[in-house]
Amino acid sequence: MKKEDRRKKTQKDVIASRKRCKAEGTGLSHYILMDKKAR
Amino acid sequence: MGAQTISLAQDGAAPSRGRFVNTGRGPTLQPVELGHARYVALVDADTAFWALVRREKLGAVLAGGPLLRAYRRKAAQFAEEMRALRFGLKPSAVYFNPTARCNLDCSYCYIPRTMRRSGPQMSSERLNEALQRLKDYFKTVVPKGRLPQIVFHGSEPLLNREAVFAGIERFRDDFRFGVQTNATLLDETAIEFLTSRGVGIGLSLDAHEAKIADRTRRTWAGRGVFDQVTRLMRRLRGYDGFNVICTVTTENVRHLSSIVEFFHANHVPVCMLNMVRCTLPPSRKVKPTDAVAAKHFTAALDRTYELYRRTGRKLVVANFANVLVSILAPTARRLMCDISPCGGGRCFFAIAPNGDLFPCSEFIGLPKFKGGNLFTDPIERVLSSRAFTLVTGRKVEDIEPCRRCAIRHFCGSPCPAEAHEMNGGMERTGAFCEFYEEQVRYALRLIADGKEAAYLWDGWDRHTQDTFDANML
Repeated sequence: MKKEDRRKKTQKDVIASRKRCKAEGTGLSHYILMDKKAR
Repeated sequence: MGAQTISLAQDGAAPSRGRFVNTGRGPTLQPVELGHARYVALVDADTAFWALVRREKLGAVLAGGPLLRAYRRKAAQFAEEMRALRFGLKPSAVYFNPTARCNLDCSYCYIPRTMRRSGPQMSSERLNEALQRLKDYFKTVVPKGRLPQIVFHGSEPLLNREAVFAGIERFRDDFRFGVQTNATLLDETAIEFLTSRGVGIGLSLDAHEAKIADRTRRTWAGRGVFDQVTRLMRRLRGYDGFNVICTVTTENVRHLSSIVEFFHANHVPVCMLNMVRCTLPPSRKVKPTDAVAAKHFTAALDRTYELYRRTGRKLVVANFANVLVSILAPTARRLMCDISPCGGGRCFFAIAPNGDLFPCSEFIGLPKFKGGNLFTDPIERVLSSRAFTLVTGRKVEDIEPCRRCAIRHFCGSPCPAEAHEMNGGMERTGAFCEFYEEQVRYALRLIADGKEAAYLWDGWDRHTQDTFDANML
């Protein structure tokens, strides 16, 4: 079952999550740096 | 009078034990209305922590229980994460303008017309020298194993193609390179050169049909370039490092849903739908209102979701995806415009064709924000110049109404160039406050409905760890 469908079915009282990683943000909105596949 | 009965904490902090939300030393959790039938949000603005709570349970959750207990245990860690993200990063990218000239005269460009017509161009020798200086600098700040990024930008960088390509060839092992181009000079030889070296290619295209796209993007003689750009878009189909930026103005805002359909049909993997930057007066004439921008932008996002469900293929709207990531995993964001301070002058900086350094390309037309010159000044000194610290010192805590806004770290009040030039100072908001409000509300609604993955690039969380999960309470 997809996550979306599961969540609809269970109707949780509280939804909260957070992830973290080493911050590497470098981009500005004049160019897209979202993926790293090109290199 | 008897002995002093008021106890004071030895460290001078308030004596409250923090048992209650929103008083004393308790967590500050502001309710945020999402426009969702079942959920409202609670947000701690300082740590960017959020929870979605069923409407009828809000009072009980605020009164205490497992969510608050779990959050109390994590709050200090989340605060430190935000501090490091906001104040602890070093530059790792440069927006490099190898020429001030452009063969187009787009109505909203942030580079002044006189510069674009006849401004300077960097020689090949000078460009190589610049890249060597940048390489030497980045060795001191970028961790081993990670390549700094150079994005050739404009004006139109391919007007100085020989120098740019020579630089890419010579330093291909030292940087990740990208080129943002209007596509008019991108011939087969150039495509072969760039794609064979894994260089990112960003095209600029503002609509799905010529009569709209050509309103804002045209040559000095007034001729549109839609047909050329769309030919290139088809040619680059399947190349991983290819994407398209669409600048949103009054001329195309009502067509955003058709535009994403067009991009999707042409297999564009990632696009940005950027609201026009209002740094210079001409661009303000084509600024859509926040309400109109939000209405059509979110309709376009809805359309990308429908397209994904129908075809199994995503068109990621990167500027929105970044807002969504800033909620799900603040440190995983890529774009550093919508964080405070923004990335200008601290995560990246811009270099003009004569070597002058600015916190961001957006400031290249504003001499006051020149922090020094790459060929004459040490980069560390430039980063601490008044011109740069004006930008790096702009914080949402000093801006009204951002200082009391629950979503201030999902938005960042961009952009300082707009705030300064359009709204009168660094302590002012940027140009699109309500538009950001609506983006964040939309993002939180997606999370409530479990749809967020459909809007994010595959593998976005590959290097992340879970630090909070209400399912585990």
